[in-house]
Amino acid sequence: MKTSSQSNRSRKETAISKRRKTGFRIASSLSILAVGLLAFSMALSAVNESESAIRFEEVSQKAGVQHLHHTRKFQGKSADVLGMFTSGGSSVAVGDFDNDGWDDLFVTDSDTNRPNRLFRSNGDGTFTDLTVSAEVGSGNDSRSIVSDALWFDYDNDGWRDLLVARFGTPILYHNEGNHKFRDVTIRSGLNEFANTIAVIAFDYDNDGYLDLLFGNYFQPENLISLKNPKVLPNDLDNAVNGGGVGLWRNNGNGTFANVTAKAGLDNQKGWILDVGHGDLNNNGFQDIYLAGDYGTDRMYLNNGDGTFTDVTEKALGGFDTKKGMNAEFGDYDNDGLLDIYVTNITDEYMKECNMLWHNDGGTFTDLSKETGTCDTLWGWAAKFGDFDNDGWVDLIAVNGLRSAGKENYIPVLFQMMVTPGIDFSDVNNWPNIGNMSWSGYQKKKLFHNLRGQVFKEISAEAGVDNDSDGRGIGITDFDNDGRLDFYQTNADQPSQLYWNRSAGAGNWVELKLEGTKSNRDAIGARIALQTDELTLLRMVDGGNGYAGQGSTRVHFGLGRATKVNSVEIRWPSGHVDKLAIPINKISYIREGGTIRK
Amino acid sequence: MKRRNSILAKMISFLFAIVFAMALHPRAIAEDVSAATALEAALEKDPDNLRLGSEYRQLIIRTSQYDRALKFFEKLVQEHDNAASAHLNYAFAYVDKIPIAGSITQVLLANSALAQFSRSLELGPSWIGYYSRGNSYLYWPKIFGRTPLGIDDLKEAMRLQRGESKKAYYVRTYIALGDGYWKMDELNKAKAIWNEGLSLFPGNPALKARLSTQGDELKAVMDDAYDITKRIDTSLQELWADQGTQGR
Repeated sequence: MKTSSQSNRSRKETAISKRRKTGFRIASSLSILAVGLLAFSMALSAVNESESAIRFEEVSQKAGVQHLHHTRKFQGKSADVLGMFTSGGSSVAVGDFDNDGWDDLFVTDSDTNRPNRLFRSNGDGTFTDLTVSAEVGSGNDSRSIVSDALWFDYDNDGWRDLLVARFGTPILYHNEGNHKFRDVTIRSGLNEFANTIAVIAFDYDNDGYLDLLFGNYFQPENLISLKNPKVLPNDLDNAVNGGGVGLWRNNGNGTFANVTAKAGLDNQKGWILDVGHGDLNNNGFQDIYLAGDYGTDRMYLNNGDGTFTDVTEKALGGFDTKKGMNAEFGDYDNDGLLDIYVTNITDEYMKECNMLWHNDGGTFTDLSKETGTCDTLWGWAAKFGDFDNDGWVDLIAVNGLRSAGKENYIPVLFQMMVTPGIDFSDVNNWPNIGNMSWSGYQKKKLFHNLRGQVFKEISAEAGVDNDSDGRGIGITDFDNDGRLDFYQTNADQPSQLYWNRSAGAGNWVELKLEGTKSNRDAIGARIALQTDELTLLRMVDGGNGYAGQGSTRVHFGLGRATKVNSVEIRWPSGHVDKLAIPINKISYIREGGTIRK
Repeated sequence: MKRRNSILAKMISFLFAIVFAMALHPRAIAEDVSAATALEAALEKDPDNLRLGSEYRQLIIRTSQYDRALKFFEKLVQEHDNAASAHLNYAFAYVDKIPIAGSITQVLLANSALAQFSRSLELGPSWIGYYSRGNSYLYWPKIFGRTPLGIDDLKEAMRLQRGESKKAYYVRTYIALGDGYWKMDELNKAKAIWNEGLSLFPGNPALKARLSTQGDELKAVMDDAYDITKRIDTSLQELWADQGTQGR
């Protein structure tokens, strides 16, 4: 197990000691007076930081974006159990589909004939439902269940297209540029059945076109007309009968080809719940992390030749047995390297702890306990975002599986689990859940980042401690005021839109990148921004985090800095632009360095 | 006379196995495997030997051969179902594997351990049986309703130890029984039994830690004490220390 391995402990000690040594060196170089002043100023700073000003207001109804999700209702004797196992498809994709400068929302539903919803931002805090006129509501038919969605400009025409992932075959909509979409799935070649729960877009071969990575939960059995009842995990800690992943290369002509085997990603069969990408070793190629339920998280490094190498054991210290739900990338301690946050299950009956993989430069150390981000109960999506613009990314995490009646499903499930010789994979062996609750009514978690060392949980004071059965998070600055807002989806419950009302938030910049040689969305671009105090790293991601895609417009909080010293953008093509940009503004930057302010 | 010879033979085989194992330790894995084989052979001849089984399990822990031990004890109790200590060792072998297992497997292992503790107690009620099973119940989340069963076992262990001369390891019952009451939100009862323990075992750090904290701090002490990811010391060294070389 990686969490108990000696190598991991040793890395942890090294990572922590490195920080302590750095702090010591700084302090020892100062005079006694300076040390006194520093201590005083740090004490004040600590008080300010611990009393976070982060505040949100829930405005989904007012904004016209409240959406009630419905889990698929199955037929037959295994209906109850299958419904329980497929309750994860409540997702959100954030993206400016009409290029008006305001991020829009696409939100999924999962029950038969229930429409997904497209909400266009009116730019005044309200949204208009364009689902019917844009013709993007379908997907939940008698053979398929919608599970995730993604904005990405697959043909680099400047208009973000839409992919709807399903337990079934995906749907690809081409954005016609007039608030209309055209179903181009057949032509795209995205025709393989899979029980997909997560999808991201990134350019794995840096050819300028966005490719797709699908994370598949079940093996490719049609759950709606189930022929083989043995579709559930064959082991609850080390399952190897899941759906694995599918990597589809964009051929650049509107078609995609399945390159999973060619890329070396067909060798694991985990129950993938989330997939994430990022350049973990700063070599210009996108690496990937697969979060697997029932064990089997995996990390793959991109070899730069169209293949990947599984480095799980070497980089993470072994193979975990946890219930991985989320793969979010971000540099939480501003050391210039991308870290990874994975949610697992931590509840009264199961103490897994999440994983905050600190990037030590080649290897990773789980610092979730040390940073206070270990426990988010039954975790789902978690996303980094600097909600108070202090220059340190905070962390919002949603949770909760099923909030229903007073009776608890766990003791019932336990009786099944300890039955001698029981076959967990057989759907007929699982007890019905009926109206029982299972890890329900859980309060969401918002962790305020205290200078990359530790996080403080502030969800109640920030006003986001709802107890809905959360699934996805879509983060962006919806009202373009420089403060990050977010949309939360829930299973079988209405969604929420949280408007950031934090007073006294710091200065900020937002950058919308446009690739020319690189993919148009600039997904995979790495942006390093310097102020007098901090060097910040952000990436443009293509849908990291469970059941949620955030904006491709990157946001930097600057704290009290009144200017940006430099911005360096390393585009996926390898081209590097160095720029000067104004603060408290959204800047539009084209590859090559052109700025539209 | 016959019984004395039998005990002598068992002691010789036990000492031979220990000396053999010690002579090889620490050495290469192959040598550890061979030591385990020798201890298994000794246990097959003397399945009811708690101490020999304990030595074997400690070797298994050092060499991470958990499944080997489980397989061995499974066979041993099949062949010697009436050997109460074999069932105890089998139970501890499940407990020994828990820290390296996944969260669901931990539950399954813990449940299997309970079954073996119970079988051992059916065959021959003992302080170690009641204490171990009772303490195991306390690791279960409250939702499973097993804490009261743990309290019952620990009360029985307490009854047995009160009838005997004081032994250092009896402090464990005071700690665990108090913990059981704490888990059931009976703080006054918990404190009473912890205090009683402290009066008999002055300075015991575990009792002091419980009695000097309250609220969240006490909860943190308890969470740490019942952290299932931490290895529980199942070497039973305290038993042997108390019983001298005769212990088995």
